[in-house]
Amino acid sequence: MSSRTQRALAVAAAVLGMAVAGCTDTVTEPKSTLTETNVFDDVNSYKAFLAKVYAGLAVTGQQGAAGNADIQGIDEGFSQYLRLYWEAQELPTDEAVIGWGDVGLPEMNTQMWASSNSFVVAMYYRIFFQVGMANEFLRQTTDAKLDARGVSTALKATIKTYRAEARFLRALAYWHGIDLFGSIPLVTDEDQLGSTPPAQATRTELYNYVVSELTAIKGDLPAGSGFYGRATKGAAAMLLAKVYMNAAVYTGTAKWTEAMAAVNEVIASGYTLDTRYRHLFEADNNTSPEIIFPITQDGTKTQTWGGMTFLIHASLGGSMNGADYGVDGTWWGLRLKQQAYNLFDPTDKRRAFFYTSGQSVDVTSIGDWSKGIAAPKFTNKTSTGANGSHATHPDTDFPVFRLGDAYLMYAELFLRGGGGTQTQALNYVNALRQRAFGDASKNITATELTLDFILAERGRELLRVAHRRNDLVRFGKFTGGSYIWAFKGGVAAGKSTETFRDLYPLPANELVANPNLKQNTGY
Amino acid sequence: MASRGRLTFALLGLFLTAAQVSAQATGTVIGRVLDASTQQPLVAASVSIGDRGALSDEAGRFTIRGVPAGAQTVHATLIGYAETNRGVTVTAGQTTNVDITMETQALQLAALVVTGYGTQKAGNISGAVKQLSTEQFQTGRIVSPEQLIQSKVAGVQVVDNNEPGGGLSIRIRGATSINASSDPLYVIDGVPIGSAGAGLSAGRNPLNFLNPEDIESITVLKDASAAAIYGANAANGVVIVTTKSGKRGIGIEYTGSVSGSWITKTPDMLNATQYKAAVQQYAPQNLNQLKNENTDWLGLVSQVATGQEHNIAFTSAAEDMNYRLSLGYQSQDGVIKGTTTERLSAALSYDQRLFNDRLLVKSNLKASRNYDLFTPGGVLSNATQMGPTQPVYDATTRSGYYDWPGGIQSPDNPIAILNLAKDEGTTLRSLGNLQAQYAFPFIDGLKATVNAGYDITKATRKTFTPSLLHSQVKTGDGGNTYRRDDTSQNILLDAYLNYAAPLQYLPGNIDVTAGYSYSQQHGDYPWFRETGLSTDLLGNYGYPSARQMQNYLWVEDSKLISFFGRANYNLNDRYLLAASLRYDGSSRFGPENAWGLFPSVSVGWRISQESFLQGINAISDLKLRGSWGVTGNQAFANYQQYTNYVVGDAQTQVQFGNEFVTTIRPGAADPNIKWEETTSFDIGIDYALFNNKVSGALDFYQKKTDDMIFTVPVAAGTNLSNYMTTNIGSMKNKGLEFSLSAKLLQGGKDGLSWTADFNAGHNANELTTINPFGGGSQRILTGLVSGGVGTYIQVFEPGQPINSFFVYEHKLEGGKPIYKDTNGDGNINEKDLYVDQNGDGNVNVDDRVAKYNPLPDWILGHSSYINYGKFDFNYTLRAYLGAYVYNNVASNLGTYAEVGRGSPYNLHASVLETKFTQPQYLSDYYVEDASFLRMDNLTIGYSFEYAGKPLRLYGTVQNAFTLTGYSGVDPTAGLNGLDNNRYPRARTFAAGLNVRF
Repeated sequence: MSSRTQRALAVAAAVLGMAVAGCTDTVTEPKSTLTETNVFDDVNSYKAFLAKVYAGLAVTGQQGAAGNADIQGIDEGFSQYLRLYWEAQELPTDEAVIGWGDVGLPEMNTQMWASSNSFVVAMYYRIFFQVGMANEFLRQTTDAKLDARGVSTALKATIKTYRAEARFLRALAYWHGIDLFGSIPLVTDEDQLGSTPPAQATRTELYNYVVSELTAIKGDLPAGSGFYGRATKGAAAMLLAKVYMNAAVYTGTAKWTEAMAAVNEVIASGYTLDTRYRHLFEADNNTSPEIIFPITQDGTKTQTWGGMTFLIHASLGGSMNGADYGVDGTWWGLRLKQQAYNLFDPTDKRRAFFYTSGQSVDVTSIGDWSKGIAAPKFTNKTSTGANGSHATHPDTDFPVFRLGDAYLMYAELFLRGGGGTQTQALNYVNALRQRAFGDASKNITATELTLDFILAERGRELLRVAHRRNDLVRFGKFTGGSYIWAFKGGVAAGKSTETFRDLYPLPANELVANPNLKQNTGY
Repeated sequence: MASRGRLTFALLGLFLTAAQVSAQATGTVIGRVLDASTQQPLVAASVSIGDRGALSDEAGRFTIRGVPAGAQTVHATLIGYAETNRGVTVTAGQTTNVDITMETQALQLAALVVTGYGTQKAGNISGAVKQLSTEQFQTGRIVSPEQLIQSKVAGVQVVDNNEPGGGLSIRIRGATSINASSDPLYVIDGVPIGSAGAGLSAGRNPLNFLNPEDIESITVLKDASAAAIYGANAANGVVIVTTKSGKRGIGIEYTGSVSGSWITKTPDMLNATQYKAAVQQYAPQNLNQLKNENTDWLGLVSQVATGQEHNIAFTSAAEDMNYRLSLGYQSQDGVIKGTTTERLSAALSYDQRLFNDRLLVKSNLKASRNYDLFTPGGVLSNATQMGPTQPVYDATTRSGYYDWPGGIQSPDNPIAILNLAKDEGTTLRSLGNLQAQYAFPFIDGLKATVNAGYDITKATRKTFTPSLLHSQVKTGDGGNTYRRDDTSQNILLDAYLNYAAPLQYLPGNIDVTAGYSYSQQHGDYPWFRETGLSTDLLGNYGYPSARQMQNYLWVEDSKLISFFGRANYNLNDRYLLAASLRYDGSSRFGPENAWGLFPSVSVGWRISQESFLQGINAISDLKLRGSWGVTGNQAFANYQQYTNYVVGDAQTQVQFGNEFVTTIRPGAADPNIKWEETTSFDIGIDYALFNNKVSGALDFYQKKTDDMIFTVPVAAGTNLSNYMTTNIGSMKNKGLEFSLSAKLLQGGKDGLSWTADFNAGHNANELTTINPFGGGSQRILTGLVSGGVGTYIQVFEPGQPINSFFVYEHKLEGGKPIYKDTNGDGNINEKDLYVDQNGDGNVNVDDRVAKYNPLPDWILGHSSYINYGKFDFNYTLRAYLGAYVYNNVASNLGTYAEVGRGSPYNLHASVLETKFTQPQYLSDYYVEDASFLRMDNLTIGYSFEYAGKPLRLYGTVQNAFTLTGYSGVDPTAGLNGLDNNRYPRARTFAAGLNVRF
């Protein structure tokens, strides 16, 4: 090689070499979000992460009222946990009909859903979003991880409570899963994040897991005042009572006695009946002594297009004025089916909020707002008549568990052979009826205390608080022909439906994403 | 990186050794190769004497050393030119100068085509490439550069949204992605500016910063062999824009035009009489709300739009330098009031040759300010929904405009929105580069190039909605204001070597390039929003106290680092071989997949050079080519590989006792995320017939995209959300392209000349898999439309084209959709109207079928260029065949249910035929064949001299006519065929003037 060529090569090498030496490091790290490596540098992150597990029930994403959604595949406002759960437990029953034509929604009124119904699908994914958040919280707060990060002893004690709360929320989500979908995967913090599809657990396995979790965490949960909105010992006892109460449905083996024990524990936890029934559903219901576990909402700090924003607005329409309920508009959606309306005695104060002007009793059309009595049970007005803090997003919390329910559970369990006394059962039921009628005139007698009465009374006391489907299934009346209501089965007069519809189908897409899953019978 | 460096140098050594020469009793021949008629230098001519040869450089110069002394013949060949021989006498130890002039044979083969990191003669290209220059561009009021090639290139779909300069997208041979971008990579004067929208903008289109008048040529790299040199950014093809540089003897050039645009069609809504009748029959309770006006709401919001454009360019060129400085101003209103786009642009191009032409420095600097005024959201939709019986003004309201009493269930007054709300964007952008190209003195044909570029943008978008608007009153939102201030700063450094020379001991020429590229991008995206303003008086220009304030900031950085190389081998302009390799490292890829390799190979065979075709005079040129290559797509969001903990805002807090706690949420992430990979084949023919009077190309291609970036449902419980963005799924595009350019008449300078170009492109898209692990057919709904909440009309389904309409098959009776209680169950529902596809007696989502594709089966284009004396005349026609559009205005408002709302909405006239009393959003009745034929433009020009200065006057009609069976406003309803109150298409008349001083 000539010296000239060598010089040329040297120049070439210099040009290229300089460039190559410039940089071959391709890494850039996020600056506007946090990652696992730095998020826990701030000790407040543990509380903030636990708050997200709660927030999964209340809001839809990281921006209020919508934005940066938690789950995808459905309109964000539709994807809110409480909204979906409420729709799943109320729309196919005798208590509610929603008039909107949004794709998939009409079938929710009639039990005619398919496995790709977006409301069914989103409910399934909401449950697993809660499970996923709780699992990740637990994985990030193991003793080993906390020690590695040098977490103080005091904070570790607090985190122990947090972990119990996360496990409560996971158990709550799994209870909803067992109840609505039956046999679903059981994924815990023992499993690692990844893409390996989990196996399907039986309903009994899930049931056993929830019972064991609730039993295990009881000692670590907080109790007493100052914990409003959080999972307390009372909330765990109530959830356990609910799970036992439906054990016969979930596993084929009744657990009435165990349920009664849990109910007694709830009743002994210090809650008292609110003197005003209506207060339970008002904008300041956070002051009610009766609420055991709420999903909290706040007009300015906890905003969503689901939750109470949906429940209040959608229950208003026609000649109703939103301002009378502390909100800015009416959405013309939810009415009562006549069967639920007819459960009420005209003097029952629990129906005082029914709005009948311009509304017919019979629901002869799903889409026509004027067909069916309006039942705006929740309001964004406080007990003193003041408006909530925001005209669109209410301050009203949703009472998931409350003492009145526990009273009726006691009576039902007594009748089903779970123990207790008839006197006590009557006392509890009549306490509710005295509140409902203002005096003892409508108290019931021992002979009137029957299971049929309990189901009807639950329909009155717990109207539209997302218990109805669960109750009707337990009483064997949700599907089949023993109880017919408007549009059950898709026809105006109602008709018998197939019993497999006691469970919702697993989402069609989920069966593809997870080949381990077997669809529920009938779908 | 050491091993990569060694490899590069080893390659370098290999081809450099071939250039060694020894000198004994020999001389040197130097000279220039020139075009015989224009006397312009010819580049890349192959000049040889015996077994010694060289290639001419940009100035046409060549040097051949070691030529034996004595009489010799200089032999020159260049594709598109006749072979030329010239005698020369070489003296030992001396340098002999000889200039060679060559005669044109086929200009289209000799044209220099800009390719990635270099140029190539059109006739020697073995990939699928199309270059257009100024005379072929679209004419008329062109706001966006992409519009220049609309209807001009086979297989290239240019989509706009009818707003001036709005909604521009390009699809080259179909879409390759669902969740990453399917737009091509744009390269402007050698600076790649990305593909996903090609930058930042607060206006309608990021590329609007570039003045189309400054563009010299646009090259579209369609197949993988042409595009793969751009590696992980090339899967959607590459659009290379080259701007004008200084030319000798022009001086000052002014071009200017004025235009007027008229609306062509508005949605077919009920008139006042029909509307009143509908309310009377279907919602008598609302009758008392009606007034007795006859208001044409759509007419009131539209206007005759005017536009103007002025460009002035100063150019000059000398032996060793040239420059061009241009200034441009363009302003164009839209046919809906409140729409304007305005551009002020400056561009400077300066080239300087130094050190005996060994160093060429080229610089480009562009800067512009774009101002966009948008018709506020809701004007168009409310103009269709507002009752024609209602007045515009109402002196009794706070705003002075009439509003319905029906609260949240009533339309808003569009004139009030138009006059009181404001939505505007200002974008400042500057792009520049400095390129130095050095030809080494010791080795002929070796050049080094260093190119440094930058791209800086500042984009501000401001919207203001006053509290007194009906929309704000009825929702209780109050007034709101929003401001986004985005900035981005991107830099680029390329360095590469190029060696082009005849091979020493083997026949043929080689052209080898190898280099390195580094680019980094930085962006800051803050926004601020106030809702519930305490006063409306500050508008977009201040922040009064408000019920709620939200702040947001997103900062991101990304890098792309690349090594690339290419080798072309050309044997006698007959056998052509090209191979390229790119190795890309990107900050968007997970650590296990940080680097990707993208190879390509292509071959070309000019059959017409073979002796067996020499006798056939009809065939002027015939080239068979084939290519294979792998390209990538990394046009997806940054930081996908990280499990991000997103901090919740102040409105998503959770109550803990008496305290509200802000949340953090970890997201689902795939730590190994990487590029999408598209493997392409192309087989093509380039042909020229009848003495080059007819020429063109025919291509068949297939592209298969794997590891598609796709946000798909994941098995519940496996990750932190129900959807995850990951490399999953695959897609296929295959198609056929044909182009033909015919010189029908060649009348010379004053006679009649007519050149007609035709192009046709067929593309078939198929989503092949979503989730390879899934057993059954997975569907993902898409195509959100108006009507209900969460109504999706399209689907991603394996076996179907992406975005296929996913609808119920409406039963027909007498050709009309049925609407009655056919099964006698007491009400009209899905079971009465739609076909029960699975026969289960129930009609639900399982009975929806994916059919009808929004993308055209065929896109046809035809342009004619006619000259007669001082007149020139040209036009462009475009046709789409087999494209479907969903008429969302009809589906949303074509139901009597809409008059039964709080206040009655106006109805789409289709309801008079369908009689729907409940909405049927998912009916296939609303999916229409939107095939069309359109005259994109028609231009007549007249050129003459005035006071010795050349002048041209011209007039243009854009969108002269559209023939279609589609019933909605415009059959070109975006990429996805969703016609939901789309901006109406305008017909534009423009008149202009070009003059040179």
